[in-house]
Amino acid sequence: MSQKYHMSLRHRLWQNRYFYIFISPFFTIFILFGIYPLAFSLYLSFVKWDGLTPATFVGLENFLTLFQDDEFHASLWNTVAIGAIYIAPMFLLAFLFAQILNSERLPLRGLLRTSVFLPCITPMVVIAIVFSLLYSAESGLFNFLIKVGNAMLPWGKIDPIPWLESERWSKVSVSILLVWRWTGYNMVLMLAGLQGIPLQLYEAATIDGAGRWRQMWHITLPLMRPTFVFCGIMSLIGTFYMFDEVFVLTRGGPGMSSTNFGLFLFNQAFTDFRFGYASAAAYTVAVGVFLTSLIILRWRKPRTD
Amino acid sequence: MSLRCFTGFLGLLACAAGCTASVSGADVSIQDTAVKASLEVWGWNIAAASLEKLLPTFNERYPDINVSIHMSGTDMQSRFLLSLVAGVGAPDISQLQLVDAPRFGPSGRMMDLTDLAAKYEKRFSPAFWRNCVHNGRVYAIPWDMGPCAVFYKRDLFARYAIDPDTIETWDDYIAVGRRIVALSNGQTRMLALATQGLIGTFEILIQQVGGGVFDEQGRIIIRSPENAAALEILRGLLTSGIATPVDVFSHEYLASLQNDTIATYPMAVWFGGSIKDYAEPTAGNWGVFRLPAFYPGGLRTSNLGGSVLVIPEQGEQKEAAWKFVEYALCTEEAQLAQYRNFDLFPCLMTTFDDPFFDEPDPFYGGQRVRRLFATDIEKIPVLNRTEDWNQALRYIGQGLSQWHDKRLDHSAFLQDMERKLQRRLGRDVAPGPSQ
Repeated sequence: MSQKYHMSLRHRLWQNRYFYIFISPFFTIFILFGIYPLAFSLYLSFVKWDGLTPATFVGLENFLTLFQDDEFHASLWNTVAIGAIYIAPMFLLAFLFAQILNSERLPLRGLLRTSVFLPCITPMVVIAIVFSLLYSAESGLFNFLIKVGNAMLPWGKIDPIPWLESERWSKVSVSILLVWRWTGYNMVLMLAGLQGIPLQLYEAATIDGAGRWRQMWHITLPLMRPTFVFCGIMSLIGTFYMFDEVFVLTRGGPGMSSTNFGLFLFNQAFTDFRFGYASAAAYTVAVGVFLTSLIILRWRKPRTD
Repeated sequence: MSLRCFTGFLGLLACAAGCTASVSGADVSIQDTAVKASLEVWGWNIAAASLEKLLPTFNERYPDINVSIHMSGTDMQSRFLLSLVAGVGAPDISQLQLVDAPRFGPSGRMMDLTDLAAKYEKRFSPAFWRNCVHNGRVYAIPWDMGPCAVFYKRDLFARYAIDPDTIETWDDYIAVGRRIVALSNGQTRMLALATQGLIGTFEILIQQVGGGVFDEQGRIIIRSPENAAALEILRGLLTSGIATPVDVFSHEYLASLQNDTIATYPMAVWFGGSIKDYAEPTAGNWGVFRLPAFYPGGLRTSNLGGSVLVIPEQGEQKEAAWKFVEYALCTEEAQLAQYRNFDLFPCLMTTFDDPFFDEPDPFYGGQRVRRLFATDIEKIPVLNRTEDWNQALRYIGQGLSQWHDKRLDHSAFLQDMERKLQRRLGRDVAPGPSQ
């Protein structure tokens, strides 16, 4: 029976060989550039390796070091703090824009949607130049506006803000950039979510006498829940592994006040050549992000009254 | 939020290219056809261009060594590292930042140049040579260096009637800065000094005063009176109101080269190349005065940046590779050509005797700046770096931000840094005066 099965399997493989050949490029590339690096990184997390000298097995030492590493702890704290500052306003703005741009009567809808989406496809280097000029303590636009405001108001003077110079403000500065950059991306996802809600629900609600707010509260928000959860998970992962925004704007500074986890990994691996330690940190945080994502996914199912 | 993580973002470390100089023809023979090879060399921006320009004269001596220069981008260090890890793909010769030499040298992946290079040791700046040696073995040859001085704008100094020759110490410098800020109603500041850039200035200062982070055995010596003195100068620069919080090489910083917002730039010699690149129309308006001393009569120079050449062990044409390195870095002819053509200041101190160093430079209003930069180079104290240098510098940079932000006491800060370095790098603290 077993032999017959194997022969049959072999026969089937041979019969379908062209199909397998056609789909093989994906699997080859996936194994080479997806599975292999993951497995190698797992191996690295148990060794000490600088890339130049032979790796030495250290067991769980890399993981244990993580618990005592205040740089690691600070980077996690910064990641959470930045996420806490930017995600809520970004979601609110994205939802607001999605609502506005979902309106049938809005003129130039395509152009407006493109404009809102544009920041997230703009090269980061260009963004960095513009934002570093906006944030400049001495001659930046933001501080210029503060000066103008001070001149116009007889009371409540505000001191110019050292946006990128101060440990207190660097996270806010990064967060403002993140809101600006990623609102469009989330807006597109939310727009797709809004367009997936059957119009009949709104028509029925209107006939039943439900007003705009009631429709929002009882139809839109509950049915948008899967979209919100998806955006939430993407933002969570993005916040942890974000690199370019922080790197080009503050390089994690001043001090390490804006060093998030992504930059911490970069520093460990490519500045300090501690590949084993960086892999251990990456795996530890990946497990944390995975578990948190599972918890968030529990709210995924849409609820309607 | 992007899912892109950090892959693809590497390098960034390419900053100061260097300079070069060399001793007279030495052991490079007139013509040698015994060695036949085809070499690949990696370098970045002007350094690579500088080597390219040497090829015709090199090939006059070695007609059968064909050299191809690959100008790499900022990802060169990671590509180099990967090729060393893989055991294949490394160039025959590669440029490295001086600060990276102590990391790559002891890896066993670089050719041991001790016997070949021994005869040239005395001709190079000792502060540089020391960083190319590990356990008495030489793994890299110094190329260019970054002796420091202060670049200033002549028109601003003339407008406020300031004679740069009166600035002898850092205290004088701060006093002049205050005067410029007052006379310009705050429109002009003496220098740019951002929190993110404190580590660069700190490195200049500790090397000037003979401080440091590691001793020759790699033990931690951060808690020293010299380092505390450097912090005192740094605090003076930060709190006297003469500095503007603009980060080095930011867009504002580069724009300032052509406006009146910043009067002086305490920097390494290679900064002159940047001025020429970014502010060519300002030619003639620049002057240079020597780095202010810690105290009257103190050392008035230091170093920042610089690079070396290494020969990876995996190469199969190491003899020919050495011939090229020897020509490019150990001959006065090649080093002077690189200084003349690309502003790469030579580590090879025997070039300093050349009359070229005494020629007036029109870019600096006819000032003899080359001699100024070459003065006292042999007195620059050695800064021992070790393979943990970048890591240590990052920790110190992070600490300096706190030190500035919270106005921490110098000795408390250095004590804290000593503890952190000890714990994070697993190195011992040196006994002695620093205790």
